[in-house]
Amino acid sequence: MTIRTAAPWRVLIAGTIAATVWGASPAFANTPQAVPAGALVSTEWLAANLQRPDLRVIEVSVNPGLYERAHIPGAVNFSWHNDLNDKVRRDIVSKEAFEQLLSKGGVSDKTTVVLYGDTNNWFAAWGAWVFDVYGVKNVKLLDGGRKKWEAENRTLNNRSPDYAATTYRVGQVNTDLRARLGDALAAVEGKGATQLVDIRSADEYQGKVFAPAGVPELAVRAGHIPGAVNVPWGKAVNEDGTFKSRADLQKLYADVGIDGSKPIITYCRIGERSSHTWFALSKILGYQVKNYDGSWTEYGNSVGVPINNPAGTIWAAK
Amino acid sequence: MTDSSLGLGGAGAAAGQRPAGAISAYWQPVAAAVLLLALWPLQQALLQRDGGRTLVFALAIGLALGVVLQRSRFCFYCHARDWLQRDDPRGILAIILALAVGLVGMTVVQSSWLPNPQAGQLPPDMHIGPVSWVLVLAGLAFGAGMLVSGSCISAHWYRLAEGSAASPFALLGTALGFALGFQTWNPLYSLAVADAPVVWLPQHLGYGGALLLQLGVLAAWAAWVWQRHVQQRQRSLQVPAAPIDPERAAPRSLPALWRSLWQGRWNYALGGLLVGLICTAAIVRMRPLGVTALIGSQVRGALQGQGWVPERLNGLDGFAGCATLPAATWATPNALVLLGLLAGAFIAAFASRQFRPRLPTGCDAGRGLLGGVLLGWGAMTGIGCTVGTLLSGGMAGALSGWVFGAAMLLVLWLGFRWQTWWGSRA
Repeated sequence: MTIRTAAPWRVLIAGTIAATVWGASPAFANTPQAVPAGALVSTEWLAANLQRPDLRVIEVSVNPGLYERAHIPGAVNFSWHNDLNDKVRRDIVSKEAFEQLLSKGGVSDKTTVVLYGDTNNWFAAWGAWVFDVYGVKNVKLLDGGRKKWEAENRTLNNRSPDYAATTYRVGQVNTDLRARLGDALAAVEGKGATQLVDIRSADEYQGKVFAPAGVPELAVRAGHIPGAVNVPWGKAVNEDGTFKSRADLQKLYADVGIDGSKPIITYCRIGERSSHTWFALSKILGYQVKNYDGSWTEYGNSVGVPINNPAGTIWAAK
Repeated sequence: MTDSSLGLGGAGAAAGQRPAGAISAYWQPVAAAVLLLALWPLQQALLQRDGGRTLVFALAIGLALGVVLQRSRFCFYCHARDWLQRDDPRGILAIILALAVGLVGMTVVQSSWLPNPQAGQLPPDMHIGPVSWVLVLAGLAFGAGMLVSGSCISAHWYRLAEGSAASPFALLGTALGFALGFQTWNPLYSLAVADAPVVWLPQHLGYGGALLLQLGVLAAWAAWVWQRHVQQRQRSLQVPAAPIDPERAAPRSLPALWRSLWQGRWNYALGGLLVGLICTAAIVRMRPLGVTALIGSQVRGALQGQGWVPERLNGLDGFAGCATLPAATWATPNALVLLGLLAGAFIAAFASRQFRPRLPTGCDAGRGLLGGVLLGWGAMTGIGCTVGTLLSGGMAGALSGWVFGAAMLLVLWLGFRWQTWWGSRA
């Protein structure tokens, strides 16, 4: 038996085929690029950069079972209900629990975090706001969220990742990003010239309905906080769920007198849709914005606060 | 008579009266093919909707389930009756096999969802319900409904495709039973359900421990069933088994093999194995299988509009199980599973020429309605039926599934004992 070495032309063909397959295979079609500046990353960028060790993709969805059945490969799951909310108080997750959560997810100071989720990224934006409250750096939102990723037929899988735990420590807690009932009342009374943005539907704002259909948690009074302007969250996004351009957003809010010259408070019903607008105003436009997570379910239930109800309903009656 | 009639009986006994000449049934395989082709435009239309891929998946899962249930005559009532009354253990062993296969399958899936089951969270939307005496009552009522109407709800669905005279009434009765269940829910919730523990076995024993315990119990049960059967046979010296058609036992050609799929009934074990696999496949892409959510949500939607059902059903929508919250659209995965199940059962029944409708008698109507009311009340109160609570729940490691199943079996056992005693008096 003679040992034959491969003929050079064979090596050449094999090499060419391998190089072609290597180049054409989607996993290697894109070389990792620098992390984009700004608060958003595109689906294209994320797809090309999923393998980066310094990147952690985190899904924050509200619908149970969604992440478990299919998520962006390698993404960690932060449940909005169980992880980002305090289990007992109506409050955001505590500092200690948040530190544990990030440690378990293998996030360190050097990690770039990309958040995404269902329902137009509302809850992922809520996550971005909580991350900002706890001073996490390098947090981005996947522009278009789950909806766009799925619409582009990008890869999903259902394996739960297993990252080495870190020891994450929160530094300065940034309470300036969170409005309380007192801040909303102060804005109503004209202290500090704060502007209120109500991002709910026009019907909710007018007091015609208490909440979107099928929502169980309500306020006993309908209407809005006096002085608030109404810019429904959906006006800030394009058809595919991505945020409108910076210039378009600037114009959208300037048209109702919101130009960043005064501090802003965003609110909705429970603070998740308003997080989306908080993100646009604060992270994209760079305005000074607090999100009021108590929102209408707190304000509209509070005793002794003034409301504006153009529909004229008193409780649920005319 | 082939052994295809073994699974018939109870309320379906009359359906076992096969007309001698099945010439009129020659068109049925053609109808099966037409029905199968008709599903193509439906799935194309579904793909255009939001979440369309999941809807098509649900239709396909339902289709497979319908074919399997009809061809293997997988019916909890008949299988229990064959075991408890006729000393034929094959059916109950098929149910045990389905549970064991699903248990292993769902453990694999869930262990990927929740790597640490003891961290305090429950797997999303798996049918893990509250365990209280109310659940036992629901299981007892459901079992009684099976006795009276001669089937469980899933089997009534597939029997529609065989032209069963009692099943339409049983399903109507089920709707009435749901209406009753909605009326009694709030008081029962306050009495016992609100504080009842929601027990997911892996949370207490780990995946391995829960799997060992549940498979161990199923294995012990199967061994006991078999042992008892062997002893009975030795006592009565009966020679069992229907005559075996040599061509069916060992098909010599591909056409013969194909024909054998549409004759008589499939092997019991094959039915059990496939049901277990289908239940597992379902949870990978959609909520666990259930066959009552559509009835529940339709009844609730209709009656809440009339003010006949309390506007607020306390805590009900917070429990995992067959959800009855009225949906904004008819096209939900659960509805498509049911549509697929019906279509699959019709295709299987037509292809096997087993669609033999007959006019219902007053007795069919009465038994169907009364049994259906009990089935409906039990399924509403137990947040699912033999599929939603027992199969999907038990396989997921929910104590609620096993408790519901045990209560149901207890009633069936008592019922059959009573029937035997009553028969011996006559």
